[in-house]
Amino acid sequence: MSEDDLSAMKKRVARLVYIAAGGKIDEKDLERPDTDLREIGLDSLGYLNLLEGLERTFGVSIDLDQEEDHSFLHTIDNIVCYVTAHRGAPA
Amino acid sequence: MSSILARGAIRDAMVDCLGRHDGRKAVVGAESLGYGELAGRVDDAADWLCAVLPGDEAGRRSRKHLGFCLGNRVEYVILYFAALYAGDLPLLLDANFNTGEIEAIRSDCGLDALLIEPSKAAKIEVPGKGDPIPFADEVVLLPLSQVAPPRFEPRVSTEVCRFTSGTTGRPKCLEFSGHAVVSAAKNWILGTGMRGEDRTLCLAALSNGLAFNTSLLSSFLAGGELHFLKGAPLTRPVARWIEELGITRLVAFPTLYRNFVAPGGPDRAAMASLEHAISAGAPLWPDVREEFRVRYGLDISDYYGIAETGPCTFERDARHHSGLGVPLPGAEIRIAPGPGDPGTGEILVRTASMASGYLNHPGLFEGRLDADGFYHSGDRGRLVDGRLHLVGRTEDHINVAGRKIDPTEVVAVVSALPGVADAVAFPDEDLNREVLVHLAVVAGSADLTRAAVAEACRSRLAPYKVPGRISFVPEIPRTGIGKPRIAVLREQLNASRKESPS
Repeated sequence: MSEDDLSAMKKRVARLVYIAAGGKIDEKDLERPDTDLREIGLDSLGYLNLLEGLERTFGVSIDLDQEEDHSFLHTIDNIVCYVTAHRGAPA
Repeated sequence: MSSILARGAIRDAMVDCLGRHDGRKAVVGAESLGYGELAGRVDDAADWLCAVLPGDEAGRRSRKHLGFCLGNRVEYVILYFAALYAGDLPLLLDANFNTGEIEAIRSDCGLDALLIEPSKAAKIEVPGKGDPIPFADEVVLLPLSQVAPPRFEPRVSTEVCRFTSGTTGRPKCLEFSGHAVVSAAKNWILGTGMRGEDRTLCLAALSNGLAFNTSLLSSFLAGGELHFLKGAPLTRPVARWIEELGITRLVAFPTLYRNFVAPGGPDRAAMASLEHAISAGAPLWPDVREEFRVRYGLDISDYYGIAETGPCTFERDARHHSGLGVPLPGAEIRIAPGPGDPGTGEILVRTASMASGYLNHPGLFEGRLDADGFYHSGDRGRLVDGRLHLVGRTEDHINVAGRKIDPTEVVAVVSALPGVADAVAFPDEDLNREVLVHLAVVAGSADLTRAAVAEACRSRLAPYKVPGRISFVPEIPRTGIGKPRIAVLREQLNASRKESPS
């Protein structure tokens, strides 16, 4: 993936996080891709919305029971890495 | 067969239905158990509870208070009934309760042990915490030695306790008699037409009144199947479960239904077996209800229930698309005359499934009953042709995804923070139209930061109580007697947002 593609992907994921959180997260906080999303207010309902959004946008089905370590959902960087590795057909 | 001989209305009802429906499937989750297998597992678990929490040297075993701090799973069902079989008292905690809330419950009500996931048990930091005792792969019993006698003793008739939000971080403990719990289940079966052929997929937490009353006992009394989804309640796995297992009843919350009708949601064919889609906990958005009907050909049934009274209404008639249905058997509703539109007023409820009282707030529940035993709900509504329509609340609670939060609890946490001159919490909505707690703070010191306020809330409050929005304001408008003027504050905040749209 080129630098431009990676940057665009991070912006798409950041936007998904913002929408999933219902706008409760300050978009400025999402500009740093290593920010821990839990610490800036992404709650369980927000994560539920985010998982739906990732599946519908990138075709990535995430079964949390199959993943021992959930840190791949803690930052935008980590989410991008996970989506890139598991991506199916884009919606 | 267990040697336990404890009696109680719930236990008696369960013993009866486990025997009557032997040979049928009872509960399905990570594993699947028939009624006979469930009976055996409950007996074994009751023996296990008595072994790990024994009596004194003379063999006298007092009633143990067991805090259920678990998400939905088959083991929850086994241990809940096992506790009743063993003569113990299950206290159904919200699985999101933090250390402070658990400690408050132990201090008020007494907790001899928690049934909890191992990872969460490791994070609980309370005095007298023992070593976890494994029950299943993902469930342990965490013994808690009592550091002081509890402040309150439950009534002898109490068989189950559930919780609602209280002030200053102390959840209010509702006591229910076995008769009330069994009545709620039987009346739900009667009022909603539940049958032995029903397969109920329950996505709401069993500690919540919705799930507790619509699923936990009623499914078994009817001879039906109770299903728990493994994993997060995302629309595709839910639809897959419904399709593959022929689910007839879905018990869920508004957010899930909204996700179903969003672009890319599951196909209609996947939902073909569904006969009832039940929503509760928070008001369902009318456009979501309409879109669900268009897409899946099924009405979402709203149900009105109150933590203190149990289920109150249900709509069975598919021709009615507004309101919350008619009173269930055993439930009576009156509208107290009040100011405003004639016929609209506070909803008063009397049911056969009422709580006995608040264990840790003696007299509070009784004070909300009128001379005829009707409970003052705090909700405003009207009856139209016998159907209940909700129009608002007379009280200040904030309902976040079905969990009622007393705003004074949030304010108490923030007010203890150095540099906070004044604060008020009130309901607001996020961009997804989900209700959130909005906290307005007046800083008495330039050192006070949003991050410090957020951290104080996160460290002291359950996640759902943490404000989703924090605003710093120069002053909180108040009435002459000091009551915050929320409408005025909202106008001020909206005006300042328009001035600085970033």
